[in-house]
Amino acid sequence: MRSGSSLAAGWRVLVQVLLVVLVVASLLPLYSVIAASFKTADEYVTSPFLPPRAPTLDAYAYSLVSARLLQYAVNSLVLVPVGLVLYLAVCIAAGYAFGKMRFRLRLPLFLLVLFLTIFPQLLLATQVFKLTSLLHLTNTAAGVILSWVAYFSPFGTYIMTTYFRDMPYELVEAARIDGASPTRILVQVMTPLAGPMIATIAIIGFQSMWNELPFSLLILQNQGSRTLTLGIAMMRGEFGLRVPILSAAVVIAMAVPLLLFLLFQRRVTLGVTAGAIKG
Amino acid sequence: MPARGLERDGIAPYVFLAPLLVLLIAFILYPVLMNLVASFTEWKGYGPMKWIGLANYRAMLADAGFWTSLWNTGILVCYIPVSVVVTVFVSALLREGLPGWKAYRAILYIPNLLGLVIIGVIFSVYLRDDGPLNLLLTWAGGPKLRFLTSPWLAINAVAVIKVIWIHLGFGLIYFLAAMNGIDAGVYEAALLDGAGFFQTLWRVTVPSIRFAIEFWVVFNFIEVFARMFSLIYTLTQGGPGYATFTLEYGIFSQGFQKFRVGYSSAWSTVLFLFCAAISFAQIRLMRRSHV
Repeated sequence: MRSGSSLAAGWRVLVQVLLVVLVVASLLPLYSVIAASFKTADEYVTSPFLPPRAPTLDAYAYSLVSARLLQYAVNSLVLVPVGLVLYLAVCIAAGYAFGKMRFRLRLPLFLLVLFLTIFPQLLLATQVFKLTSLLHLTNTAAGVILSWVAYFSPFGTYIMTTYFRDMPYELVEAARIDGASPTRILVQVMTPLAGPMIATIAIIGFQSMWNELPFSLLILQNQGSRTLTLGIAMMRGEFGLRVPILSAAVVIAMAVPLLLFLLFQRRVTLGVTAGAIKG
Repeated sequence: MPARGLERDGIAPYVFLAPLLVLLIAFILYPVLMNLVASFTEWKGYGPMKWIGLANYRAMLADAGFWTSLWNTGILVCYIPVSVVVTVFVSALLREGLPGWKAYRAILYIPNLLGLVIIGVIFSVYLRDDGPLNLLLTWAGGPKLRFLTSPWLAINAVAVIKVIWIHLGFGLIYFLAAMNGIDAGVYEAALLDGAGFFQTLWRVTVPSIRFAIEFWVVFNFIEVFARMFSLIYTLTQGGPGYATFTLEYGIFSQGFQKFRVGYSSAWSTVLFLFCAAISFAQIRLMRRSHV
């Protein structure tokens, strides 16, 4: 371990070993849940870890139908995309205003948005619940979607702001000279150019909403309107629910984010650095 | 950008901001302020509010559950430096160039995709007294560990999962990106000076990625203070006893399980103060890094 830029061979092996250990530590819990999902309840009790002897889909059938996971998945697949479209509209418009427009309250409002980005959902939950019941939005898609968009937009706005700010100002100026209205500049000029960053916040927003628990827990109180994430959180609390069934439910819920990752791997990992570091 | 008066864009920016601002005021700003009011009242979350002055705060300070929640948060915070050291160190090793790293990167990133509910449910089974991990431990000749039923192990298990396990891959990608931004000439110079791996790490890499490290620390503070609920709800439900309560979980337990919303709002005030401080730190950092 002497040289600076090229590590000695022995050291290199050690790093490989370390990485393998980390990978195993990352995957073992996932392996065990996948293995359990293909077992019968009896086999799981006697052998919770080894691969299933006679893989069965019983647990999947049970959780999809009897435990209503199919219905929850449909709910999520409706709520999240609708929420996402609104989220993108809100973040793009606000990000453009903060990033490229001049107005007196720009800085104070931007700081307010930044300040409100991190507050935990539980801090807001009581009043959000009161608000949704006041507006008769308890148990409705509109209620949960509005709360999601409100809660997740500040961060998306921040990322869009940094992106728009770094775009050349001449683009706006040229469109303005051509007589385009602010709305046209935003929709027809700037938004298409911001495509890559919009894709990034779309992925961030999708993950946030897909995995959201506290607001859906409070707002969606009918069993039939649960999201997939909420449905699984509630299954976990059910007394005496068999592990393979719970495991199958988890595997089903993992499928969507994992599929998304396989499709958009580069963009997802790029999102890690979005809006974070500059200097 | 040419300076042509502060209100050059007229009303348009306010129109573009209106949806965000309306949502923010209704769903974040107003709730935060109303919590403060509610903390001085006796209130079930519905029906009339009764003003009781500082009684909720007095009760909170006498509540062992409150102090346990703070203590637990302290334990979680202790894992943040561990996370910094581990992720920066492994990133520095990977920066040296390791064949096959791309495949590792994708795999290590998976936990970050899954969401706290799924992770909580997975570990609630994985860490059971008779679960897979304990089976492996006993096979290897080790002791059985009561990860979720012993108070001390439970909070540490939560901390390892949340602060280390979930964000490892995320942290590696993040720090590698930051290290890629360092001028290669600096490393060559260090090599010529005969600096070893650790010297280079300490003298060249760490100072160059100082901002990234500061962001990472702030990010982890946010995670620990403000993003714990879904994991605790699905993994331990705050138990055993108060062993894995945090302020967030306490607010949930008092407000939504015992319907003591006035009282839980006093906890909210404390959580608000912590989060406000973290938020200020983050804003300062953001403004500094964009100079």
